[in-house]
Amino acid sequence: MNRSLPHSAGIGLRAPHVGHVLAQHPAVPWFEVHSENYFADGGPALAALDRVRADYPLSLHGVGLSLGSTDPLDLGHLARLRRLADRVLPARVSEHLCWSSVNGRHFNDLLPLPYTQEALDHVCARVAQVQDFLGREILVENVSSYLTFPEATIPEHEFVVAVATRTGCGLLVDVNNIYVNARNHGIDADAWLAAIPPAMVAEIHLAGFDASGPCLIDTHGAPVAPDVWALYGRALRRFGRVPTLIEWDTDIPEFAVLQREAATAQSYLEAGLAVAA
Amino acid sequence: MPSLRERQTNFAAALLDVDGNADGRIAIYRNTVYANYRNALGATYRVVRQLVGVPFFHAAVDAYVQANPSAGGDLNVYGGSFGDYLATYPHAANLPYLPDVARLEWAIDEAGRAADLHGTPEALLAALGTIPAERITAQRFTLDPTCRFVASAYPVLRIWQVHQPGFEGDIAVQFGAATDRLLVRREAGAVVIERLAPGDLALLRALAGGDDLAAALDAAMTADPTFDLGTALRTSIANRTLAELRQ
Repeated sequence: MNRSLPHSAGIGLRAPHVGHVLAQHPAVPWFEVHSENYFADGGPALAALDRVRADYPLSLHGVGLSLGSTDPLDLGHLARLRRLADRVLPARVSEHLCWSSVNGRHFNDLLPLPYTQEALDHVCARVAQVQDFLGREILVENVSSYLTFPEATIPEHEFVVAVATRTGCGLLVDVNNIYVNARNHGIDADAWLAAIPPAMVAEIHLAGFDASGPCLIDTHGAPVAPDVWALYGRALRRFGRVPTLIEWDTDIPEFAVLQREAATAQSYLEAGLAVAA
Repeated sequence: MPSLRERQTNFAAALLDVDGNADGRIAIYRNTVYANYRNALGATYRVVRQLVGVPFFHAAVDAYVQANPSAGGDLNVYGGSFGDYLATYPHAANLPYLPDVARLEWAIDEAGRAADLHGTPEALLAALGTIPAERITAQRFTLDPTCRFVASAYPVLRIWQVHQPGFEGDIAVQFGAATDRLLVRREAGAVVIERLAPGDLALLRALAGGDDLAAALDAAMTADPTFDLGTALRTSIANRTLAELRQ
């Protein structure tokens, strides 16, 4: 089994497409799944993931660890993640730089952190705790946000780099989230990219946002926007050929739509290679 | 400057403030949070949602979430008490079968992701064959981990069946007919639902609860004086509902 991610464009595999993938065996370089969707003790979904894993490189992407929460880390959640990782031997395990729960109450959403020194120290300790528990390096992903906090003192890109520097974790750079935050908060997306040491970047995510309201919302329910493709091209020029994932989580279209998005990403990856050569 | 804990506590309070006095940007998060729960429970409780319609269902989910907050980061296992909540939900009081339909849908959901069964009928029969006859009734059994039981005074299986995608034929449901005693379990990777006789339900529930065979037989005979233990055991061993002897 291949235990590293190819430097190609993979697809986020969601339940409606698993049957199609197992039956048709489409030419997709790698898949990523949401870890929590396979926390079950058994059953057909987990068995199907085993079959996917036998044929494709696989990455686990968590959405529920609540890494930045001031509640204690949920060791049961972590134990289920470790059990799954032991089972499918993923090429990567990633989580979000966010929080989801406080005072024992979970909101099951990716909530924004105030980028303060206290939050940085806290998140670094938590990432270290997770890496110790799992016995491996994880990747952390920058999230979209719809507000900022008056107490924040650290630019997001500095916060992200500091977490990786201090914990040795890798970065999962979500280019769409950079774009969304740049638009929502008036920051410079290219300065954000320029601040990231290329060696830290192990994976890139691309997805679509919703622009119908007063700010951009990261719905994962639309094609990648033209501006985001352009930003992705500039990211690749800086970071080199990084494994890239197409994500689509709401109003999930037929699999061919995701393959077309991945093919576009692949053309960017290969264009970058041509420039480099 | 608020501490991180104060910030998170205040943010959580604003998310829960459904009257929306908080910052408008918090409302974006509030909408996403509730939409996530509506979608997650809607995927599990498909028949409940069909029975009451989407607006009613969303209102019921919102109320449930406020009364029974999620305590973990895995949405797949949130919402198991929705049936119990519907039994107390005043707006559903004229739909007395609704809580049991929800309980059936949760049982199906749990059966689908419970641990895989190990052990075979042959191994269990062989193990039983080594037990001296006088000690048979002192035995306790492990059931197939996918087994769930749903008992209802309403024809919930029929209600569930006529709301499945692709169901064809007469969708009429006869109320006031027999009550439902259901065993939900997984067989060859698919969830199956069977109706049980009163004695079988009593026997299996008692065994599932850890009773020995003598106590389970008492429960079965109480439920049905004509209960036949030999037939019940043969059936439940052959279809793997009874998986192993407990040590």
